[in-house]
Amino acid sequence: MDWPGRHVISIEDFSRDDILHILQTAAELEAHPQPNLLAGCLMATLFFEPSTRTRLSFEAAMSKLGGQIIGFSSAASTSAKKGESLADTIRMAEQYADVLVMRHPRDGSARLASQVSNSPIINGGDGANQHPTQTFLDLYTIAKLFPDRLTHDGPPLAITFAGDLRYGRTVHSLLTALSNFNVRLYTVAPRGLEMPAHHLSRAAERGVIVETLPTLHEAVQLTDVLYMTRLQEERFPDPVEFEHVKATYRINAEMLERAQSHMRLLHPLPRVNEIAQDVDATAHAHYFPQAGNGVPVRQALLGLVLGRL
Amino acid sequence: MPKRTMQVEAIDHGTVVDHIPSAVTLRVAELIAEDGDQVFIGVNLKSKKVGNKGVVKIASRELRPATLSRLALLAPHATMCIIRDYQVVAKDPIPVPDSFTDIALCPNANCVTNHERWPTQFDVLSQRPLQVRCLHCERDFPASELAIR
Repeated sequence: MDWPGRHVISIEDFSRDDILHILQTAAELEAHPQPNLLAGCLMATLFFEPSTRTRLSFEAAMSKLGGQIIGFSSAASTSAKKGESLADTIRMAEQYADVLVMRHPRDGSARLASQVSNSPIINGGDGANQHPTQTFLDLYTIAKLFPDRLTHDGPPLAITFAGDLRYGRTVHSLLTALSNFNVRLYTVAPRGLEMPAHHLSRAAERGVIVETLPTLHEAVQLTDVLYMTRLQEERFPDPVEFEHVKATYRINAEMLERAQSHMRLLHPLPRVNEIAQDVDATAHAHYFPQAGNGVPVRQALLGLVLGRL
Repeated sequence: MPKRTMQVEAIDHGTVVDHIPSAVTLRVAELIAEDGDQVFIGVNLKSKKVGNKGVVKIASRELRPATLSRLALLAPHATMCIIRDYQVVAKDPIPVPDSFTDIALCPNANCVTNHERWPTQFDVLSQRPLQVRCLHCERDFPASELAIR
């Protein structure tokens, strides 16, 4: 599929070749910055709900490529508050900007936007559904940490997802994307927050084995990448159970002493309690460089959909 | 040979929808009948094929394409016969399209289509059982969970 004008809505819309092209383009932009690539281009950030990392890294990406930015960061300051339809807000915004980056609380809102917009839409998170640019930056991080391991025929890269695997859109999209590559996947989740069966069966259809591990201790020892996610208190009907699970799903520096030296710990952030502060100083902590990788990956996407790469 | 008795009155011209699950037969009748139609309904009829079935007969006309799509969602494994001069001139399964556009609501309460005036679209994942995916929220549902508009 042609890149100029392409919408970035769901990881399901991207083939293995598409993904590899994005990762390669990001690597080239990181190695050889192009400060004038998007001069004269305007990006609108339509954030109908708050975001820190996604909005900041899109703005950083656009600025570093010489483009300009307009936008809003909460629905309260828009005409949506006055009852304007999402379709009309998009039709209006595309009159002003060359590319629209959008976050919205409703599942499927980015797809709807792509149905009305002639300018490319980049989904910065639609409810509990998709957050494709997070997935691309996660993949980019893994590919940088373990060059060639995702695509070679050697031993598969062992990746464990831990935490809230039921509601976390990040892990669902990443599982789908990783199903294109040479990986062996493991999950560790509290009861009731396991990975939904349909995500597991889609991975199985692509020949990827996903195994369940009983505790984080096993995961730490056998995995190359441990991908932690945040536990959200509102998912637990019983506060006592939440406190118990919170204590169980916590990585600290002592636990990591049993990890392989090359093991890296990732997290989409924000972390709350699931990674102790003492982990930050270990060689395993990689969640802040991971967040930093959002910039070259979003630069690559902006450059591609705006037809400048 | 003794003459076979029809359990539901024969029609000279029109459409017979057969092998409907009994539980949804009245909904099928409601869906396909228009003002002034003569409608004959049978429920809990014995069937070698499906065990227990419903039949709906509409006299004098064939079904519109939009009605057929809705029917495919409601009773995907039913069959449809076209009757002319008391003869069955065509007998086919209900055609299941590749996707259903703007005829059903998404069961996901947080799907954008339940909050904006915008047509839904469900793509067919499998025919037996009929399983669909919402184009917008990307969730998968059995067709039976969709409320038809």
